[in-house]
Amino acid sequence: MSSNGGVKVTINGQTVEAEPGRLLIDVAEEMGIFIPRFCYHPGMKSVAVCRMCLVAVEGMPKLVPACAIPVAADMEVNTVDEQAVDAQKGMLEFLLINHPLDCPICDRGGECPLQDQTYAHGPGSSRYVEPKRTFEKALEISDLVVLDRERCVLCWRCVRFSDEIAGDQFIQLVDRGPGTQILTFNDEPFDSYFSGNTIQICPVGALTSKPYRFVSRPWDLVSAPSVCAYCSVGCPLTNDVRGGQLVRTQALPNENVNDFWTCDKGRFGYHYVSSEDRLASPLIRNVRQEFEPVSWGQAVGAATEPLSRGRRVGVIAGGHLTTEDAYGVARLAKRTIGTPHVDSRLQDAGAPYELALEVSDAAGSTATINDLESARTIVWVGPDPKETLPVLYLRLRQAWGDHNTKVIVISARRISLDGFATHVVRCDPGGEALALQGLMDGSELPAASDVGDPMVVCWGPSSPGRDETGIFGAAIELVKVKGAKLLMCPPHAGSQGLIDMGVHPTLDAGYNPAPTPGLDTRGILQAAADGELDTLLLVGADPIADFPDSELATRALASGVFVVAVEILPTESLAYADVVLPSAAYAEREGTFTNLERRLQKLQPVLPAPGSAIEPWKICARLAAALGENWGLPDFDDVWRAINADVPSHAGLQADHLRNQPVTPAPYYESGFEGETPGGTRVAGPGGQYPHGHRGGSPFQTGQNWPLSWELRAFEAKQRPGLIPSVPARNGHGAPVVRATTPPASAARAPGRFALYSGRLIYDEGTMVSRTTALRAIQKKPFVEMHPEDVKELELSDGDSVVVESDGGAAELRIIVSDIAKGAVFVPYDQEGLRANRLIRGASPTVALRKP
Amino acid sequence: MAEETRGRLGGTAEEARGRLGGTAEETRIVKRRIHEYPDDSWTIERALDDGAYEGARKAITTMQPDGVIDLVKASGLRGRGGAGFPTGVKWSFAPKDVFPKFIVVNHDEGEPGTFKDRELGENDPHQLIEGIIISAWAVQAARAFIYCRGEFALGSRRLDKAISDAYERGFLGEGIYGSDFDLEIVLHRGAGAYICGEESALLDSLEGFRGQPRLRPPFPAVKGLYGQPTIVNNTETLGNLPDIVLKGADWFRQWGTEKSPGTKVLSVSGHVNRPANYEVSMGTSLADVLELAGGMREGHTLKAIIPGGASAPLLTSTDIAMDFESLKDAGSMLGSGAVVFMDETTCMVRNALVTTAFFEHESCGKCTPCREGTWWGVKVLERIEEGDGRREDMDLLLDICDGIDGRAFCPLGDAAAWALRSNVKLFREEFEEHVSLGRCPFEDEERILVGANQGGGSGEAGVMPQPAAGVPSDADTQS
Repeated sequence: MSSNGGVKVTINGQTVEAEPGRLLIDVAEEMGIFIPRFCYHPGMKSVAVCRMCLVAVEGMPKLVPACAIPVAADMEVNTVDEQAVDAQKGMLEFLLINHPLDCPICDRGGECPLQDQTYAHGPGSSRYVEPKRTFEKALEISDLVVLDRERCVLCWRCVRFSDEIAGDQFIQLVDRGPGTQILTFNDEPFDSYFSGNTIQICPVGALTSKPYRFVSRPWDLVSAPSVCAYCSVGCPLTNDVRGGQLVRTQALPNENVNDFWTCDKGRFGYHYVSSEDRLASPLIRNVRQEFEPVSWGQAVGAATEPLSRGRRVGVIAGGHLTTEDAYGVARLAKRTIGTPHVDSRLQDAGAPYELALEVSDAAGSTATINDLESARTIVWVGPDPKETLPVLYLRLRQAWGDHNTKVIVISARRISLDGFATHVVRCDPGGEALALQGLMDGSELPAASDVGDPMVVCWGPSSPGRDETGIFGAAIELVKVKGAKLLMCPPHAGSQGLIDMGVHPTLDAGYNPAPTPGLDTRGILQAAADGELDTLLLVGADPIADFPDSELATRALASGVFVVAVEILPTESLAYADVVLPSAAYAEREGTFTNLERRLQKLQPVLPAPGSAIEPWKICARLAAALGENWGLPDFDDVWRAINADVPSHAGLQADHLRNQPVTPAPYYESGFEGETPGGTRVAGPGGQYPHGHRGGSPFQTGQNWPLSWELRAFEAKQRPGLIPSVPARNGHGAPVVRATTPPASAARAPGRFALYSGRLIYDEGTMVSRTTALRAIQKKPFVEMHPEDVKELELSDGDSVVVESDGGAAELRIIVSDIAKGAVFVPYDQEGLRANRLIRGASPTVALRKP
Repeated sequence: MAEETRGRLGGTAEEARGRLGGTAEETRIVKRRIHEYPDDSWTIERALDDGAYEGARKAITTMQPDGVIDLVKASGLRGRGGAGFPTGVKWSFAPKDVFPKFIVVNHDEGEPGTFKDRELGENDPHQLIEGIIISAWAVQAARAFIYCRGEFALGSRRLDKAISDAYERGFLGEGIYGSDFDLEIVLHRGAGAYICGEESALLDSLEGFRGQPRLRPPFPAVKGLYGQPTIVNNTETLGNLPDIVLKGADWFRQWGTEKSPGTKVLSVSGHVNRPANYEVSMGTSLADVLELAGGMREGHTLKAIIPGGASAPLLTSTDIAMDFESLKDAGSMLGSGAVVFMDETTCMVRNALVTTAFFEHESCGKCTPCREGTWWGVKVLERIEEGDGRREDMDLLLDICDGIDGRAFCPLGDAAAWALRSNVKLFREEFEEHVSLGRCPFEDEERILVGANQGGGSGEAGVMPQPAAGVPSDADTQS
């Protein structure tokens, strides 16, 4: 053992130093020696069932599975030993006797680990002459996943993923021996939020994607790495394009962020990009008040005068903008137009992100997602992460499952984390802040007894429109008192970048306090409704659908203000626009998303934007030019030079670092994926050599694409971890803020009123996700969650209808009796037939309930 | 009922006993009580009268746990379930400072041809319970589980009754023998999977999961049932403990060989005149065992022997000592001690097919070579037996065996390969004859004995005899 704790291991004659205890298969892989495998997946525990990775280890009587053997001092390994090669060949012959070899009609063909490893290690032909095992073909086990059991090699990856990672155990092994098969239990659908991961990790074509089925051969795809545009976790993805259509997205691994996974919303919710109703041309209203396509010059010209009204302009940005867009919006609003009234908080209106500056140099997290796994305790107060930040849910679950981290959940209603939480504090409606205080002063036992160091306190806005000052303030106090780290979870892919770049009424770029604080979203909409603003600029923002008071939003837009809207798709708010400027979607553009740990990850274009649509930051630059300021920012590098100069927190980030992180080509590609994007960008690593070995170094025979599929993409993606900007220390974090603790809403509620909680479910009527038919089909119908006693008092029961009524309107909803605080109800935010923002009024909304 | 179950052997219990006491010598440790009191050996009254629970009393009241482990190490007792691992050494692998620990009895006897644990469980359950108490004391486990083969209907009822009798008399429960040592025993019935006799699959099954072997390390002694240190011992192994504790290691070592001390219960079946369980000193020659069993049936000659259960490679000669080392040196194994004698009427292709089909049926499906290899083997053997064999099939079968052997996840696959390989290697001409004739050369009814109820030409002998003496009716266990 060497001084730094490494051990010397010799594999095929090459000696390396490796950390003891690491798996042989991983150590070999890093040396460029690829040991064939089916069941092993670096994101899950080894099971050693496929027996494909058998290698010879000096001193061991039998071949050993490299996926289950930790390296030890002076281990001598031979992966191309005669016996090992014979075992690999034999194993493939075994696996193929019952495999249908229907590669020509299999989606996996061309990027199939079974195909590729057979070419590399298998026998040339089979000696099996008997009939193969048959099963009923192509079962649709959900609206997203199709199962073909004949192709299955029983590697268990899907079953293990379901059990170990997702924790939902929908997919199981049934029967035994040669009759063993993968199935959902009792023919129930594979109703997991993470089911698509099983398709991606399936080493054969047993699990295929229903939306992608028979759409393309892998070698016809053009592909580029990108980042999911939905939530603030920021899972890296690849976008696969065929014939100018985005036809598939898959997760790319980043062990800092998503490990290897993504949720089904991120994976299947891509259809909006190639949707037929994408905005392709600027529009202005003609004399008949109808939209008419015009040139960019005309559209920008029409918007110029209304945008030159200084402080009488309000700017609202949506959460799916990139960091560069955010820079453009903030600069356009605050410097070029000269208005402080700029905000990006819609659904999360009322979320006081700036409070994070009390414990950090940035208005954001001090913890990383990986810190969850080294924490002893995690405190969660916020929305249900499984619905809104699904992969963060997986990481929290992993922290609990693999690292025994204690999880304390503070919530007025049952959320997914309750399933494994060490302590659940079911607080009164609005009582989250008191519960957090209870963790500090010890009154909230037994949870307080498990508050320990190191600790991560996670907060995110829990219910749209609710004033979170008290809750986040209490979370900040807990962070201070216990020396914990903070994981601040704003909702969307662009939310954190918008804060960083100063799309905020009280913070300028780099978290500097704005000299003249402006109006927040509510204030802007109110001012517009009151006639105090002349112009509204909406950049990817749909206040009528997203702002938690749709009546106010509608009033504001209909008040006669001039509305300039930058959008990718028609929205309800667009109906009130005077000028519409089409925007490029995430797969069509360069840029970065800043995730909830303030990590910037790069998007690469893989598609041309429809018509003349361009990136929002370029739109901002055009508008600025029309207003008389030439920013001179034609491309990504230029924006980053400007950001370096203007945003102190991001001064040290080079465009080159973000774009061209040094990618060592994976040593095993025979023909790595290559493709040209419209911008001329090469989208993946260059081809490499398959390791010299079993076949005397003869090149790999198959596949124009990534020959060994995900494991190898993983190798390359590992070198793109993204960057978290280090922020120059601030002088003091500001004086302690005296905050009025919001009294529990129960105290404030009038008799007969219920505190209204809301929140997005994973599949809803959102502009982007609702364009995917398959996800719309599994969208939940609207409902209201109620406490059993409240239901009884109304003389109703589970499944009955109840009328939920507020000043804003009424809705008749099905009751789900659930574990929610008495006196509170939960209504999903945006399901088909229900917009909860029609019911939500004010910062602590309440509703009345009655029988229909 | 009693008459009926004895039917195959004919005559009364008395006569059956007479047959067992043949000319060659049995040496009885674990079967002594059954032999001496065939009419009521399973009752607590008889067992107590015969000195049961005195070994456990001695261990708990006069010995330190480590002392018991040392004693068992000194005795050289090796696991009787098949692997032959030294019992005391296994116990010492359990970490001293991790609690709770568990004892699990592997009473899931499923190896084809083996019926010794069944007899021990049915006819001397108290000896087993006493063994459990001693082992639990040695490793300081407060809870034991008996994983009983699901098909053991009578055995499980007898065990159930015996356990409750032992509780009633204070041998189980809190404060055994006035000490502060507590022990609970839980009887669990399996659901009919051979693989659950593999200790880690047994533990998964016991926990309520699919019965499939676990990845090792960690070994059960370190992390077993519910992730806690767990000692898994075979029924016969535990049955030796009371006498070892009472009479000492040297007493035990007077039988058997240096490396395989003590006795072994051999389940003898096949074309012999007196199929039954015989307990003999380790190292007894196979010829003596055949003699004990009354020799081959009249007018027939010995063709092949399975010396240690269906997993064990075949032998063709009785000139071998029945102990772990000798059989290993001969390229076979003692295994669970199931000895099947086959005469010249046996079709070895059919024998290979039946055996391989058994392993295919019982393969859990976890690992590729066992799942696919046994499937393939059966397909090829079926073809040969039905007359569609090809010249290259024999080499293919051997290749399939090589593809499984040493590469499967657990010993089930290896066993399937060993059995098949030895059939092909030792009787290759017979396989080739099938191919060249295009049919099986044996008379249909006589080509192999399968199960006790195989009608026709199998004469007096049966493969699966009932326990020889004092077979009780279910009514015996009703209290």
